[in-house]
Amino acid sequence: MSVFSLLLVELKKIRRSKIFLILMIPVMMMWIPSTINAKMNFDVRGIPITPENNFFIQGFMGMTWFMIPATLVIGTVLLTQTERSQNGILKMLSLPVRTSTLCLTKFAVLIFLSMVQMVFCIGAYYASAAIASQLQNYNFILNPSFVCVNALALYWGAVPMAAVFWMFAILIKTPVFSVGLGLVSIVPSVLVIHTKMWFVYPMSYPFYLLMVQYGKAAEGMYATQIDRMPWLPVAVIITVLALAVSCIRFGASERR
Amino acid sequence: MTFILETKKLKRTGYLPAFLGAGIISCAFPVVNMLARSETFTSLPGNPFEILMDANWQMMAMLNILITICGACIMYHTEYADNGALKMDTLPVKPIRLFFCKFLITAEILAAIILFQIIVLTGCAVYWFPDSAFDFLTILKTAGFEWLVSLPTVTLMLLISSMCKNMWISLGAGVILVFTFSIFPQDNFVLRLLPFSAPYQTLSMADENVHIQLFCMVCVLQTAVLYLGETLYVKARRYLA
Amino acid sequence: MHILETHNLTKTYGDFTAVSNLNLHIRKGRVYGFLGPNGAGKSTTMKMLLGLTHPTDGQVTIDGKTYPQDRVSILKEIGSFIEAPAFYGNLTGEENLDIIRKILGLPKSSVGEALDLVGLTQFRKRLAKKYSLGMKQRLGLAGALIGRPPILILDEPTNGLDPVGIHEIRTLIQSLPQQYDCTVLVSSHLLPEVELMAEDIGILNHGHLLFEGTMEALRLQAHAAGFPMDNLEETFLAMIDADNRKKGGAR
Repeated sequence: MSVFSLLLVELKKIRRSKIFLILMIPVMMMWIPSTINAKMNFDVRGIPITPENNFFIQGFMGMTWFMIPATLVIGTVLLTQTERSQNGILKMLSLPVRTSTLCLTKFAVLIFLSMVQMVFCIGAYYASAAIASQLQNYNFILNPSFVCVNALALYWGAVPMAAVFWMFAILIKTPVFSVGLGLVSIVPSVLVIHTKMWFVYPMSYPFYLLMVQYGKAAEGMYATQIDRMPWLPVAVIITVLALAVSCIRFGASERR
Repeated sequence: MTFILETKKLKRTGYLPAFLGAGIISCAFPVVNMLARSETFTSLPGNPFEILMDANWQMMAMLNILITICGACIMYHTEYADNGALKMDTLPVKPIRLFFCKFLITAEILAAIILFQIIVLTGCAVYWFPDSAFDFLTILKTAGFEWLVSLPTVTLMLLISSMCKNMWISLGAGVILVFTFSIFPQDNFVLRLLPFSAPYQTLSMADENVHIQLFCMVCVLQTAVLYLGETLYVKARRYLA
Repeated sequence: MHILETHNLTKTYGDFTAVSNLNLHIRKGRVYGFLGPNGAGKSTTMKMLLGLTHPTDGQVTIDGKTYPQDRVSILKEIGSFIEAPAFYGNLTGEENLDIIRKILGLPKSSVGEALDLVGLTQFRKRLAKKYSLGMKQRLGLAGALIGRPPILILDEPTNGLDPVGIHEIRTLIQSLPQQYDCTVLVSSHLLPEVELMAEDIGILNHGHLLFEGTMEALRLQAHAAGFPMDNLEETFLAMIDADNRKKGGAR
């Protein structure tokens, strides 16, 4: 069985799970108030930033610091619960599929869900920017290449964190612990991005990337350059390690 | 008696360790914060305890809300995972009592955690602001207030979990609520009164606006209304099933 | 005297009628076999008898009491076992029963007694989620039998058991009315099995009651209608088939 058809199978398993609703609602919640309060973007409080950049950054702020990580945590619960609740995992393990392939495919579904949310988010951004422009008589719409590249970077930066959450979900069978650990680990990222060691904490990556954008748009607010060293190698090591552990331990308790 | 049974059902679910863990992490938060950058805060004018509350409570309250969500989810997950709730429905016990006991358990654990958090904050204040006086009555009042304003959140989350057989739906709903209320502007008074938003309120913030009594009353009222909501839901469930 | 009666009990889901104008009469101290093919509406009926779902129309009377006003006092008299075994996976078999015992306000000894009755005593300390299918079934039965309730409602209690287990449970159910004065309503989709346990019988098909009466009356009626009589399984199949055909080949 090819990896692609396995991916289709995994996507089929989450049919009728209402996950797309969960992906969509926070995006709506994010952009509706920010459209209504678009006027507040003119009040930059002395920070040298243009209203349209302010609109973009303020809007994405909530997504990156809380909702992207939280969506990933919810996604891991969805994926593990669909397998475990009716013992579907036992059937899968008895089929001629390598467990590590299965594990990685599920991880790919998790990333796919996150990407779907990104598309929703970009779409919602343009819709709300267009409406806000009409309401305030001011052009809030930013260049699509700028918006898409940035959104992609933010979601791409969430991959190491997704790998870590996926590892939590596989290692910790009691769902309350894996979920609790995941959600609790989101909260300190606000503090972590202000320290020198931010790159060892994958939950803070998307927030860091957005803050660098903020720094570029508003002089003196934050760093203006992404510190690629030692961030990139560390991120790769974290991701590979987390996925390796996940693959080794996947379905381990069922196979005992 | 139902209370003891409900406690018993939580055996081996990791409920208590989860709350304990979250409690420890949230208590470590102000300590780490002060160790890392104490000068930022010690140089501020005003009441040390209030300074520390302002600096840390947002994060600590958020952790409390998150653990409340996890707790509610796990409570009803044990009910639905192997149809335990179905068996309960065939026994001579009022379903609303089960809900009430679950509420009581959560409220009690949360009270312990909040009290502990406030004590740690006080400890931080004593340690880093050695020459200031403390009013222990205010500290107790703060703990009581923070506990009271978190009760509607507890009730709403239990109500949501009791409605969803699939744990991840209640979890998703809870997380979305946390998110929604964390992005709403904090200067809107009505929004601040709502569940998932009220726990961020500190006593001194409410005091400035002379709203303490109003806050307490609204929160008690909300808890009662949500409890009534569950009563109706339990009744309606039989008609819908 | 009828300890349990239903009056025109009806349950519809949208445009699908699961149970239609059902009138059951269950006599005190008897074993009543409730028979019907899968999807006939047996489980829906039993859920209504337990107040788990509210009927669209009609009424259930148990020992002179009705739902929903007397729910708690009715349930105090009923021990029940519904479709899939319902329990708490994170607790042991013994702990599961202890929860039920406390709610029913029974003495401590009743847990051991119930475990003994279904043969689970040696596995009482094992987590319920680690039980085998048959053990889960037995745990469910123990939860119904605990405290010797005057009325027992058992939905396919022998499902998933091995032949030895089926025999044991069947013998147990048969002996219950004599052991302690109780009434049993047991459902099944196998007539030969019901024949071995029950004195009275009700046959359900597509939500309608085809027959109600004693085993003897069933034989007489089947004979009169010209159904095959050498084997009860065939009698049952023929009855269901005739009914399906009468309804215009509904299946």
